Amino acid sequence: MNELLLLCRIAGRNAAIPAVRVQSVIEVGDITPLPGVPRFIRGLTALRSQALTVIDCSVALGFESQPENPEQRAAVVDVDGHLYALLVEAAYDVGEARSDAIEVPGGFGAGWQAAARGLVETDTGPTLLIDIETLVSGPVAQAA
Amino acid sequence: MDDLLADFVAETREMLEASGGEIVAWEADPADKARLDTIFRFVHTVKGNCGFFDFPRLEKLSHAAEDALADCRSGRRDPDRALVSAVLAIIDRISEMTDSIEAGEDFPDGGDDELIEALQPSETVEIVGESREAPSAPMSADSEETAAPKAARSAGVQRSIRLPTELLDEVMKGVSDMVLARNDLARRLRDAGEQPEIDGPFDRLSTILADVRTAITRMRMQRLEHLFSSLPRLVRDLSNELGKQVMVDFEGGEVELDREMVEMVRDPLTHIIRNALDHGLEGPGERIRAGKRELGLLKFAARQSGNQITLAITDDGRGIGTDRLAAKAVAAGIYSQAEVDAMSERRKQHLIFEPGLSTADKVSAVSGRGVGMDVVRANLERVGGSIDVVSKPGEGTSFYLKLPLTLSIIAALTVGSGSQRYAVPRSFVEEIVFGSSEHVEFAEAGERQLVTFRGKRVPCLSLGTILGTKALEDIEWRNKTLVLIRLASEEVFALAVDRVYDHEDVVVKPIAPAVMETGLYAGTTLLDDGRPMMLLDLPSIAQKYQLVNEMRSATRVVEEEQVEQRKSQPIMLFTGLDGRRRAVRLELVRRIDTVAREAIDIEGARAQAVIDGAIFTLVGHEYGPLPEEKCRLLRLSDGDCEVAYAVQEVLDAAAMDGDIIPSAADPSIEGVTLIGDKPVPVIDGHALFASHRRPQASAQPMTCRLPARSDWARTILEPLVEAAGYRIATDAQEEADVAIELAEEQATPPGPARRVIRLRPEPEAPDGANDSIYRYDREALLAALKQARSGKTA
Repeated sequence: MNELLLLCRIAGRNAAIPAVRVQSVIEVGDITPLPGVPRFIRGLTALRSQALTVIDCSVALGFESQPENPEQRAAVVDVDGHLYALLVEAAYDVGEARSDAIEVPGGFGAGWQAAARGLVETDTGPTLLIDIETLVSGPVAQAA
Repeated sequence: MDDLLADFVAETREMLEASGGEIVAWEADPADKARLDTIFRFVHTVKGNCGFFDFPRLEKLSHAAEDALADCRSGRRDPDRALVSAVLAIIDRISEMTDSIEAGEDFPDGGDDELIEALQPSETVEIVGESREAPSAPMSADSEETAAPKAARSAGVQRSIRLPTELLDEVMKGVSDMVLARNDLARRLRDAGEQPEIDGPFDRLSTILADVRTAITRMRMQRLEHLFSSLPRLVRDLSNELGKQVMVDFEGGEVELDREMVEMVRDPLTHIIRNALDHGLEGPGERIRAGKRELGLLKFAARQSGNQITLAITDDGRGIGTDRLAAKAVAAGIYSQAEVDAMSERRKQHLIFEPGLSTADKVSAVSGRGVGMDVVRANLERVGGSIDVVSKPGEGTSFYLKLPLTLSIIAALTVGSGSQRYAVPRSFVEEIVFGSSEHVEFAEAGERQLVTFRGKRVPCLSLGTILGTKALEDIEWRNKTLVLIRLASEEVFALAVDRVYDHEDVVVKPIAPAVMETGLYAGTTLLDDGRPMMLLDLPSIAQKYQLVNEMRSATRVVEEEQVEQRKSQPIMLFTGLDGRRRAVRLELVRRIDTVAREAIDIEGARAQAVIDGAIFTLVGHEYGPLPEEKCRLLRLSDGDCEVAYAVQEVLDAAAMDGDIIPSAADPSIEGVTLIGDKPVPVIDGHALFASHRRPQASAQPMTCRLPARSDWARTILEPLVEAAGYRIATDAQEEADVAIELAEEQATPPGPARRVIRLRPEPEAPDGANDSIYRYDREALLAALKQARSGKTA
């Protein structure tokens, strides 16, 4: 309850990332591609002289890559000492969770089911709460 | 020894502080087993440590306390309040003694026996209480008297603090990030153009940051002394065990090394010492028979050169038994007899680094514990170091350890594939070859691309293919640059890249696990412009392409010949502008440059080339016309000055094993030598530099005073005089070596001079007077200046 969430849009759906984990929301500029890495990793980008691994959230969830967008936003998170930039379609606002994360009968669908901690109510409607660790560890569709 | 002592004091203190709470808790509940264990460990450790030093009183006290506590632990005795008090009194005394050890003063005698006696189980509590009170009363009075000055003194003595390494690492990381952030800012400022009000403070910030960085790096540094100080003891113990007498000698203990690196080196060093004592140094009898001193010598010498530390460990023992080593290699099935026979002596010595080989015939207690020199080498290479061995039979063996100063900064070669840059650790790079060179042949064997270069056939991987950005069939091998990679396991392969950029020292940072899993990258670093660059993980790539085993048998022997050949004189082959092959000794070649045709300026006998903003004398152009667009230049150097030698193409580096047949007909060549059965003229470096080197400005040039008010003197005469190696005297009071006067000017120069040259405006001297020179008679003027010069030196 009352957890602060970063509300954003991933693969055409409303999603939320625990705000306490988000260091900042950045506009991703140049991405240095990393040949040979799985598709959900877009590459590296530099933020204040630190290299961030850019994760394409759509691909990580098992969807098609989101279209290139000159002003693409990303949430910067730290997982086990490594910095990641989670590329989202849009980042809206930070809002309060109005409920605990709950499961819904029938699940959320393959990719979402594995990466979502559950459904939370927010001021802007029901939103899926994303688990960051699952997202950065690889395409969840295969893991699921 | 002082270091060890400081460690002892610090450790004891630390334990005292940590067990302070335990002691109080134990006092409240003497039956508490866990507390008892902690305190037992404390006195036990103190007792153990005392063994290293000559502290009989400390040892006796801690020993007594340990005994008593051991009885309690084994249940032979129940801890009672009397015992607790007695033990606490001893611990207090240990603490006081430690203080006086640190302050370097003697602890007042007496009182110990009473303390020890108090530990004995006693019938009545009263007696114990009294006997405890007796020694502790004078002691506390004593300590009250001395405590205050002692504390003050120790505050002065204690000028170092102990910090957790993690904290240091964190600070270090912070500073590294700051440096990167500064670079980023510097780039933005550059882009924004000149802004004096910002640039000034920024420069100051940069300087401060550089200082802080150096200081932080030094914080992590430790003198090698620290490592050395533990070695005599190790050597002593081992030599006693082996019945040998060994003297240890240290040099360069003041050299500093990253703390972590010191720890990394400890094990390899121990292993090398074991080997040296066990196998290298002979017993006293054998040494005397061999005419050596009875006492063996083991010498450690450390040197710092740039970002590298060289640590040499030398013994004066019997040297490496290469025949035995070779026989073992054959017996172990690592090499065939034929392979071993073909090996050079040096190569055989390097067999010591082969896995599974040991010169020890039988496993002794000291060495041969299954950890071989191969592990030592692998460990050193893992941290970016290397190891080499040189051994002379009967005279001794030296191991040379090369270590980088720190772990996180590595020397790298930056290469390009597509539009991206990647870093390759320089320690792996053996050579860089252009795919377009005639001496490189490509071949395909099934799916595998092979390249033959200088007698070596090695697999060739394209970086583009490895990274999956380019299909194998699309690659134009001839357009690539080949980086020959030699892995720690001696395997060699060629990595074809689009471009080689530069050598750089890079700060390597870890990468996300998902990226690590690809096995392609070992880390990341940021370029100056803030873009990330990946560090390639070459051993893992080689493994992925199964290169680690397949080359082993094929290339070894061929390689061996190469090693042999390299001992001869290396030369560089090229074709001159006339299309003829020539050679120059490789030592003379500083680098190879390619310049645009416009950068070359030839006018009459003067020929110059501009490379990177500096002007070089150009030679070699007399052989033929310069190429239309780009011109290859060899930059030759005799150590002081450089000349640029224009060539058509640089062919290859080769080894000159034959003799040079001198040629008297052509003074520009040293002679002719045979390379691959063809005669090749070798350029005479001496003649080249003798005729083309620029007269070096001597440290104290002669001075010449010119007429001050003459425009002609300033604009026409001055350059000529300066070219002749004179400095123009400007100080009116200074005594110049030469002064030049104009005959038409009646006033003499307003300053003293040792010699005067007079110039006249008319070609013919008036009235036959011979004391002046016509002002445009260049020859005569130069001759006069030269004469003045030699007059001084004579």
